[in-house]
Amino acid sequence: MPFVTVISAAGLTMQFGSQRALDSLNLEVPKGVTGLVGANGAGKTTLMSIALGLRPSTSGTITVLGLDPTKDAAQLRSVVGYGPERNVLPEDMPASDFVKHLAEVRGMPKSEARGRASDALWLVGLGEERFRALGTMSTGQRQRVKLAQAIAADPSLVLLDEPTDGLDPVQRDEILALIRQISADYGIDVLLSSHLLEEVERICDNIVALDAGRLVAQGPLASLVGDTTTITAELVEIVERPGAVDAVEERLRAAGLDVRRDLNQLRVTAADQQTSLDAIRDAVAAEQARLRRVVVDRTTLEDLFTEAPA
Amino acid sequence: MTAAEIFDRGYRKFDGERAGVGKAVRSVTWHTIRSILGLGRKGRHKVFPVIVAIVAFLPSIGFLALAVLIGDLMEGELQPEYWELFGLPIVAVMLFATLVAPEAIVRDRRDGMLRLYLSTPLTAPTYLAAKFAAVMTSMAIVVAGPALLYLAANTIQGLGPDGFANWLEVAAKLLLSSGIIVVFFAAVSLGAASVTDRRAFASVAVLAALFGVSIVVNISVESVGAPRSLLVLDPLSVPLETAARIFGENSDGFTDFDTGEVVPTGLVYGGTALWIAAGFGVLADRYRRIGAV
Repeated sequence: MPFVTVISAAGLTMQFGSQRALDSLNLEVPKGVTGLVGANGAGKTTLMSIALGLRPSTSGTITVLGLDPTKDAAQLRSVVGYGPERNVLPEDMPASDFVKHLAEVRGMPKSEARGRASDALWLVGLGEERFRALGTMSTGQRQRVKLAQAIAADPSLVLLDEPTDGLDPVQRDEILALIRQISADYGIDVLLSSHLLEEVERICDNIVALDAGRLVAQGPLASLVGDTTTITAELVEIVERPGAVDAVEERLRAAGLDVRRDLNQLRVTAADQQTSLDAIRDAVAAEQARLRRVVVDRTTLEDLFTEAPA
Repeated sequence: MTAAEIFDRGYRKFDGERAGVGKAVRSVTWHTIRSILGLGRKGRHKVFPVIVAIVAFLPSIGFLALAVLIGDLMEGELQPEYWELFGLPIVAVMLFATLVAPEAIVRDRRDGMLRLYLSTPLTAPTYLAAKFAAVMTSMAIVVAGPALLYLAANTIQGLGPDGFANWLEVAAKLLLSSGIIVVFFAAVSLGAASVTDRRAFASVAVLAALFGVSIVVNISVESVGAPRSLLVLDPLSVPLETAARIFGENSDGFTDFDTGEVVPTGLVYGGTALWIAAGFGVLADRYRRIGAV
């Protein structure tokens, strides 16, 4: 069945006793790499559990790849890969046996599972290490093994819970590049949960931001973060031109722009970026003020949380 | 000229048909049997299974040797009843239930496999079905194996049941008794082991369920004067008594020597069923609680 959105939820609520883990979520997760962001306890893992059909929601509906996770759990989970957050794996099992076994459990024929396990381990960069016991592997290698087992059975969607947990910056970059690659090269959609906003911003096409079980923001990354129409201009007060900063501020206000002042910094907002820049240039030139720097303000994922209503 | 063949095709899409839940259950069952028996694992993981196998088969091999060496002299007093054969490897079964079987489920919780299994087409019930099948298959080797070996040896020596029909009946009763004993100890072992994710604690829990209850029941009957029928709650004797009843016999323990009264067969079967149900119940309840990721 063709589907436009990978995950779709309406009024999704999950209540654990008196605690509300998810609060009336309305979600549309499109194809591509989607970042599920939020602090620890925001409801990311709970959402993944419901999406996998491991827990029924208290109320609301959810479909994943067009299937109902509670009614079509077996069918759904044969085409969804999952990389759990917990970084514990069977110590004495070789990586190839581990990946092969899970590929078989996910429905791969025995004859196919061995080859696919090997291919997946080569893809994640563990080809030469595939016969090593998992207990002898580093944290970075284990994260790669978890990724390999998630993709070995050729899933349509992969849910990865904190896949960079415990990695150093170099290893983190490598895992993020791999995640981007499996989506770009093999068309596997990815829902990646993380509390590290910067890494999500680097590789995701779309964002779902949760805070204490509530939806803070969702949509294409480009529409949520990036340059704004606000320009910050920092001026220098000089002896030859006393009151120049005040005069510039007045000129900008007179031109109908929204201006907020913090000492010698003016934050200027107009309908578009160029209008703000032109207005600042003209005002500074007219008042012969001295400009130290001009910065285009940028919205980051962090702003989504700091600006969210409490 | 040799035809060239490409081995490393690289990661690619899969166009074939995916197997269903049944295949997933079989895969986990086989994987667990290998794990329980220590196959494909380091030598230290094979120690307990090998000890259990030796303890289980030694008595039957002993009887087999006697049958070969002294032949007809074995007939009569020296020849054990078939149901009594289950009393011989019972130490092995208890060792298995205590030290080996808990590994089937405890390890998965400890090393994160349970979480991964439940993200596949398996559910908690199908996962537990696979684990039960694996434990029962492994345990059947030490329960049915020695009994069937003894039957085969007796038959070869001409000491077996008279006639083919009798032979079939004895074989069927041996298999039925083996099946009940295996289900009994698998249920109790996995039920008790499910209360923890630490192997050592799991073994203690199984010991407590088997020996702790057995001691309490026997003290109640022998010292406090509780009715002898309470023995149907003794997990160490009721499965063997069930085997005896299947063969139309009863053991001394379930007979009151003063009155000659025998604990009714229905109660014996009921006690066995109760233990099996309790084991399944505890297991199901535990996995209902921890089943979701």
